Amino acid sequence: MKMPGWKRGIIFAILVVGSLFMVFPFLWLLSTAFKPESDAFDGHLIPGHPTFANFASVLAPGSSAEVLRWLGNSLLSAIVASLAVMVLDSLAAYGLARLQFFGRKVILYLLIASLMVPFIAVLIPLYLELANFGLLDTYGALILPYTANAFGVFLLYQFYTNIPKELEEAAIVDGAGKFQIWRRIFLPLGIPATATLGMMTFMGVYNDFFWPLVATSSNSMRTMTVGVALMAIGPYSTNYSLLMALTVFSMIPTFIAFIFAQRQLMQGVATTGINL
Amino acid sequence: MRTAAARQTSLRTTERPRENWVSQIGSFLFVLPYLVAFGFFLGYPIVFGATVSLQHWNPMIGSGGWVGLGQYLNLFNPSDLASQQFWQALLNTLLFVFISVPFLVGIPLILAYCMYLSPWKSVFRSAFFFPSILSATSVMAVWSWMLQTEGGPINHFFGSQIPWLVRQPWAWISIDLVTVWWSMGFNLIIIYAGITQLPQSTLDAASIDGAGIIRTFRSILVPQLKSILSVVLILSTIGSFNLFAQPFLLTGGGPNNSTMSVSQEIYNQGFGLNHMGSATAMAFVMGILLAAVSFVQYGTLRERRG
Repeated sequence: MKMPGWKRGIIFAILVVGSLFMVFPFLWLLSTAFKPESDAFDGHLIPGHPTFANFASVLAPGSSAEVLRWLGNSLLSAIVASLAVMVLDSLAAYGLARLQFFGRKVILYLLIASLMVPFIAVLIPLYLELANFGLLDTYGALILPYTANAFGVFLLYQFYTNIPKELEEAAIVDGAGKFQIWRRIFLPLGIPATATLGMMTFMGVYNDFFWPLVATSSNSMRTMTVGVALMAIGPYSTNYSLLMALTVFSMIPTFIAFIFAQRQLMQGVATTGINL
Repeated sequence: MRTAAARQTSLRTTERPRENWVSQIGSFLFVLPYLVAFGFFLGYPIVFGATVSLQHWNPMIGSGGWVGLGQYLNLFNPSDLASQQFWQALLNTLLFVFISVPFLVGIPLILAYCMYLSPWKSVFRSAFFFPSILSATSVMAVWSWMLQTEGGPINHFFGSQIPWLVRQPWAWISIDLVTVWWSMGFNLIIIYAGITQLPQSTLDAASIDGAGIIRTFRSILVPQLKSILSVVLILSTIGSFNLFAQPFLLTGGGPNNSTMSVSQEIYNQGFGLNHMGSATAMAFVMGILLAAVSFVQYGTLRERRG
């Protein structure tokens, strides 16, 4: 679009100011994480006495923060949950999109309705149910509930309904069964959508706070998010250098995901909005 | 000839329109694993929750006896403390929905349009998107530091002494600011994707006609994006209704419970006071309210799309 230069300048300035506002807290986060506690309130963005001591004491064995354990818990549950979601949802989406069986429509409507149920409505019964199974404070509690979300089934359902019928028919002529059709056609063709689903599930589980807060109780079963929150209101509540170092550490997987899977994540967000 | 033709049609009628039941069961098996997960961790909790909400329930002891609809009716008893707190929290949450949703839709819309017109799109897009993939706790840890009254970077930067997190109206302003910072990028991505999907010609035609940026924005872009904007509106409304982590971690629900959200109230009832029955009743009321809101919004969205 043709525009006079000064208009371009204003638009560019809006975006630059906006981006600085987004980035500013990170600069302070990093700066404080590398400052000794005595300098935390000195108001300088560039640390006067840069140090790694905060990270060392956050990671030190025997500190009340079991940071590596929390990170491990978060990564393990996020990875296992997203693998499970990818497999379960892909199978179900193929069945719903391409096969016919009794009750298919009912199941579809049930899943659509379930998308409207807010998490808070199932929080307490889910907690009581897992308590009954003896699964509270275990990896079971940190993984299993995430497999029930119908979001991924719909994401893949929409993708699979757009795959041309001819591919499937050719495979049927070759004598392939339903499972082989799924494995040889739908699974590989669906990789972009499934990868997006996997990334979104991973971030969702890694970032979840409310459920792991109630589902775990022992320090060693906490996840990264809950651990950071407990340290923030507990031992680190006045020591911002330590709290910021811990926060930076907790963001490492997020940074990595952002660098390598930014496109998948944005794709997932965009399709969420456009397909609804 | 006749028999062969007859056999063919009969084959067709038994095979094509409806598969036989063995084959249908085979097809159902693809959905079964997911359905088991769905049943255990979503379907059953809803049904079980409905029964819990009709009983007194302590997590240590289990059921403390049936009370029927008592706990729902109690929510309408103005002299009951828990009921007062619930409605207060619901009002707080509604206030938050009203002060956050306009910004969560409006700011990304303007920024997305600016991005469309500007160079360095992908740099800006990354900068705006990044906070939305952070966890609630990292965001709140950073901002609880940024917004400290004494020596926090924001007050230091402006040379002010604003009690961001401990006095009203600053507490709501802070929670709103943090929420916009945190989740605006999500909406920006959706709206930007919507703009790039518009036929190139619509926006160009406007510029040939000599329409200015603001005219194009108002009379072309916004109407063309109506359905996407409705989606963003719905998602933001639902997200804001589910408010929990921001006040829980920034203000603790204070000052004077003024930022206490419904979710935190339910959490306190259930896990603080061990009143799991009445907490579940509250959660169901909130769930029904939310479902109603999104149902109405989905309905109007459908109508608009025709």
